[in-house]
Amino acid sequence: MSFTKNTGGKALDLLQNLPRITLANLRPEPGTKKAEKKRGRGQHGGNRSGRGHKGERQRGNRPRLGFEGGQTPFYLAIPKYGYNEGHSRRAQYQPLTLNRLQYLIDLGRIDPTQPIDLTQLVNGRGVTIQPQKRDYGVQLVGEGAGIFAAKVNIEVQMASEEAIAAIERNGGIVTTGFYDPRSLAVLCKPVPYFLSGQPIPKRMLPGEDMVPYYTDAANRGYLADPEKIQKARIALAQKYGYILPDISKDELFHMLFMRKDPRQIFFGLSPGWVVNMAEKKILKPTDDKLLQYYNS
Amino acid sequence: MFRISVTVCGRGISKRLASSFSGEDALPSNLRIPSNLVDRARAERPPPPSDSSLPVLRRCDAAVPVHLSPVQTWVETLERRDSKQLGLVDLHPDVFAVPTRIDILHEVELWQRNFKRISRAHTKVRSEVRGGGKKPWRQKGSGKARHGSIRSPIWRGGGVSHGPRGPTSFYYMLPMRVRVQGLKIALSSKLAQDYLHVVDTLNIPTPDPQYLMDLIRYRHWGESVLIVDVGEELPENILQATESLKTVNVIPAIGLNVHSMLKHEVLVLTLEAVKFLENKLLWHDERFTLLYPFKLPYTDLP
Repeated sequence: MSFTKNTGGKALDLLQNLPRITLANLRPEPGTKKAEKKRGRGQHGGNRSGRGHKGERQRGNRPRLGFEGGQTPFYLAIPKYGYNEGHSRRAQYQPLTLNRLQYLIDLGRIDPTQPIDLTQLVNGRGVTIQPQKRDYGVQLVGEGAGIFAAKVNIEVQMASEEAIAAIERNGGIVTTGFYDPRSLAVLCKPVPYFLSGQPIPKRMLPGEDMVPYYTDAANRGYLADPEKIQKARIALAQKYGYILPDISKDELFHMLFMRKDPRQIFFGLSPGWVVNMAEKKILKPTDDKLLQYYNS
Repeated sequence: MFRISVTVCGRGISKRLASSFSGEDALPSNLRIPSNLVDRARAERPPPPSDSSLPVLRRCDAAVPVHLSPVQTWVETLERRDSKQLGLVDLHPDVFAVPTRIDILHEVELWQRNFKRISRAHTKVRSEVRGGGKKPWRQKGSGKARHGSIRSPIWRGGGVSHGPRGPTSFYYMLPMRVRVQGLKIALSSKLAQDYLHVVDTLNIPTPDPQYLMDLIRYRHWGESVLIVDVGEELPENILQATESLKTVNVIPAIGLNVHSMLKHEVLVLTLEAVKFLENKLLWHDERFTLLYPFKLPYTDLP
């Protein structure tokens, strides 16, 4: 009758001749609602009500989980050793493969013409970071190094050598930076933080154990010497056998060389500023002590 | 009955007559209903005008997918009782022509009823009933059955063993997209069954409720009407007119819900309400998972 190019299609055509859909006509899909077995009622739910015959089972007096009748239970018989000692306090870094990064760039969820930050990755739903669960950020993993072909300025928290090589081969820049848990929470979910009306905190420096990592040029640490980083780039190119492209002659040179200050969380925003999202204004501190604190 | 079936107009009767000759578009026998079960009002509504010279007053704001085409309906006015249609309006197919899923409507309706429910039924357990700390009589020798307390569940006036305990909440949330889909299905089914009317504004000449009843009866809309408009301030006249009426109700567009749509026979939307609903309901089709609660502002939420 009517040629309807709709997802409803024939169903909506049929609906025209059926009675009105009202509160009395609604029903669940047959087979979705299975009737609950009412204990203590009827031939099958009654009698012993699914509790078995006599003993601790029927009388509800079974011992605790793991009890083995008096024999030393398994969980006590095995001696402790520090395999998992402090496991819940260890730093975790969510892996990000180069495959996934390429996929996100190809689909347009991440913009390679802007510096790629953890905020951009979370906004594009590329990674899921839980700062409350001892996540300290994202680590770049070399899987997919063969197919990676995007020129990006990416900042992660850890990176494997293969991943660094793959990115630099394509004319990009990798930096590893440290974010303490509070700064990480602000970085991952900026909008709720700004709505809370608190000033942007200053990023803390890494702890004793991570300082060697972030001052090492081989890891492209943000605290390392830029000259040593340049030498490390050349060394890596020789190791992996590719020609290091000259970035200084690139059109996106300015964007590729954008880096954050060690105390800065967001590009373009300094610590101490308050962002008012409702009125689209930024408030900066004027007090001397505050300025001294935030600039240190 | 025969007289009614002859005067019934539109697609229904022609389809049923055609089914006896051709087998292609015929309804299966389990879906064919006798004509006295069809709503009278639906049957008496005037047939659509055969000329398509009416202008399209509103096109869809959002992009319609290439393989789909917008559904159309007439725009009427409430100014005069017997005015003609002003024009046509394009409705987005992903909101007003989605496949009908009665089970989703059922789920959303159950959710609407139950998530607000707090059952305050509360019975006292044997420890809460006043008294019953002392052993009524000695264990042995009295010739009576042995008891420890006069408030045990066996006793008259004793506590209830497994009764309702305190205020119980039946709160649960259906996934956001299921609730959105429920709204879309309700709108689509109203449109498909001719119970949806689009109106340009809600300005009526008098605040008299009789005017509205006359209009509804004249246009054969139905018994109960739900009128939806956008904005906090609705026109005074329509608010006054519907205040005393039980079956005709006005709600703002944010208050649109599946229960109200199914309870009222007819749904009347203004053009702004159509735009608002399309914006809000289509956003959920192409959004990422929410990073933070929905009630905090999102820049791309319309």
